[in-house]
Amino acid sequence: MNDRIIFEDVSKFYGEILGVNRVNLSIPPGITSLVGPNGSGKTTLMNLMTGLVKPSRGRIQVLGINTDDPENLFKIVGYSTQFDAFPRGLTGFQFIYSYLCLSGISAQEAERTAWEAIQRVNLVDAASRKIGAYSKGMRQRIRLAQALAHNPKVLVLDEPLNGLDPLARAEMIALFRASAAAGSYVIISSHILHEVDVISDQVILLSNGYVVAEGQIQTVRNEIQEHPTQILIRCDRPRELAAKLFESEYMIEASIHKDGRGLLLKTKDADRFYLTLNHLALNGIQIESIAPADDDVLSVYEYLIGNEEVVR
Amino acid sequence: MNRLWWTQVKAVIRLELKKTFFAKRGLWIYAVAALPVLLFIAYAVVTSNQQHRSARIAREGEKPLSYQDLLAVKPGMTKDQVVATLGRPPLDIHWTERRPTGPGAFDEIQHERFQYSDGQNDLFVEFVGDKVEGANVQDAYNLGEDAIVFAGVFQFFFLRLAIFFGCLGVFMNLFRGEVLDRSLHFYFLSPVRREVLMAGKFLAGLLATCTIFVTSEILQTLAFLWHFSPRARDLYLYHHHGLEHAAAYVGVTILACIGYGAFFLVAGMLFRNPIIPAAVILIWEGINPFLPALLKQFSVIYYLKSLCPVEIPVSPGTPGLFALLISNADPVSSPLAIIGILVVAFVALAVSSFQVKRMEINYTTE
Repeated sequence: MNDRIIFEDVSKFYGEILGVNRVNLSIPPGITSLVGPNGSGKTTLMNLMTGLVKPSRGRIQVLGINTDDPENLFKIVGYSTQFDAFPRGLTGFQFIYSYLCLSGISAQEAERTAWEAIQRVNLVDAASRKIGAYSKGMRQRIRLAQALAHNPKVLVLDEPLNGLDPLARAEMIALFRASAAAGSYVIISSHILHEVDVISDQVILLSNGYVVAEGQIQTVRNEIQEHPTQILIRCDRPRELAAKLFESEYMIEASIHKDGRGLLLKTKDADRFYLTLNHLALNGIQIESIAPADDDVLSVYEYLIGNEEVVR
Repeated sequence: MNRLWWTQVKAVIRLELKKTFFAKRGLWIYAVAALPVLLFIAYAVVTSNQQHRSARIAREGEKPLSYQDLLAVKPGMTKDQVVATLGRPPLDIHWTERRPTGPGAFDEIQHERFQYSDGQNDLFVEFVGDKVEGANVQDAYNLGEDAIVFAGVFQFFFLRLAIFFGCLGVFMNLFRGEVLDRSLHFYFLSPVRREVLMAGKFLAGLLATCTIFVTSEILQTLAFLWHFSPRARDLYLYHHHGLEHAAAYVGVTILACIGYGAFFLVAGMLFRNPIIPAAVILIWEGINPFLPALLKQFSVIYYLKSLCPVEIPVSPGTPGLFALLISNADPVSSPLAIIGILVVAFVALAVSSFQVKRMEINYTTE
């Protein structure tokens, strides 16, 4: 399949230490988030995807290209790593320009493209300064500019929002979304789960080097049968609503919100619950809002891995 | 090599040259390369002063002397005979020696030293009493002898130490230095074949070391020739193969950079600690004269020695092992030596090429 990022039974061991084990993935276009605590294998998976490390076993292909073919791989892949080191003595502009020159394009084109990339990450004013004098956030942005500079089809971003202020985060998220909307593959690792939740089309949940779940977050949540779905309802008569809902067999638990205008429910069958709720709403109870309370990445991760390993 | 690869090689060279030439940790390489230049400059300054002194003594003499006049003085001649032959000495030093002959008794012996010069060479005549005890002619300079000294410095310091350690410093850091700086991923994330990257880095290292050491070699030659008269220089350069020798030394310097560079490039990929391969290669190169003929061929110095234009003569009485080190008992022809070095370098680069493809970015284990 030349339109996917494929991992086939991939394992990576660093001596006797496990990096990732028996990973099988097929990543489609859009924003895919790798989620897991430190040491779960997120960076290893990204390094494997970009050929920085070789798999001990298995095969990886990025849109049909082997990862041991950098000449072709990095025409379509841009990787913003977590490594916070740069070639010595380069300015921000020289860093991007040199990177582009390595791809073999002309000096004029490299210069133009480098400035475009620097503009995209809002670093024009600092471009002529040495990277050694950059703040953490600026170094993060120049790494992003390097990954974006050649307009790659696949963007691999290891903790791309680290060190960025809220405004810059919003700008970067918009950038990732625009890339994904244009048909790119954006692979993001992040430990800030609510951000992952907001931007991801699909997630890959990792724990101790294993992929514990993958897919769209709602789909993953629905597949977790042992944990009932939680739903938060804002309404005018929560007690009455709770009593009526408990008449059905799929309700497990309900608690009234302390302001008396909300209800947190647990159900083992969300689909039938929503049907019943529609019926009740038609019978006079005014419902302001209904929102799933646990189909976010954090909840799913807690259910799958357990509280002690969750990274908040 | 296709056009894209060549463009990429040039981009790598541009980046690497900047780092190699201006790296603080590489400053010692300039110092090592400058050392023989300073040595020859110091030698030239001292010799030049001696020449001026000889010229002054010749001017102050009673009559102009030739080299043959200086050789005319023999032990046993009287002071008057010497003065009759060479005139009154421009420099005359005398002192009295009190030689004990018994308890509390001394003989007073009169010593005198005359110094003459023909403007270039000096004659020292030692008198005891009235008789010449010794007459030594000191040649102010001798291009033939100086050329052998130059060859000795080139072979035993410049080739075996300066270029050897200079190449170690430059080539081992091409990959190893970036792993330590944690910046190698910059290259590994670019659309460049690893072999092309290696070729670019090797050529950058070669350009840097050749620039540094060929410049040093040229400056050494200039310093070496500086104190000679223009006539002596012309004679040496154009009639006694001086120009050919200078070109040969430059050629050997370049080949040494290629050979040692290739060795240290692969060593930088295979070893974490540069001291271990450096010591192994240094010992291997050092024991080369004592190795069997087949093993000799797997070293760089074996071929370089054969290409050196001036052979260092082994003086009678030199200890056997030392004589073996100095002499080139088993030389190869120049074309074979050049091919030999290139083959050794090619083999080392082939191993590097294999190794660079297997390299992974795993800074945490470094």
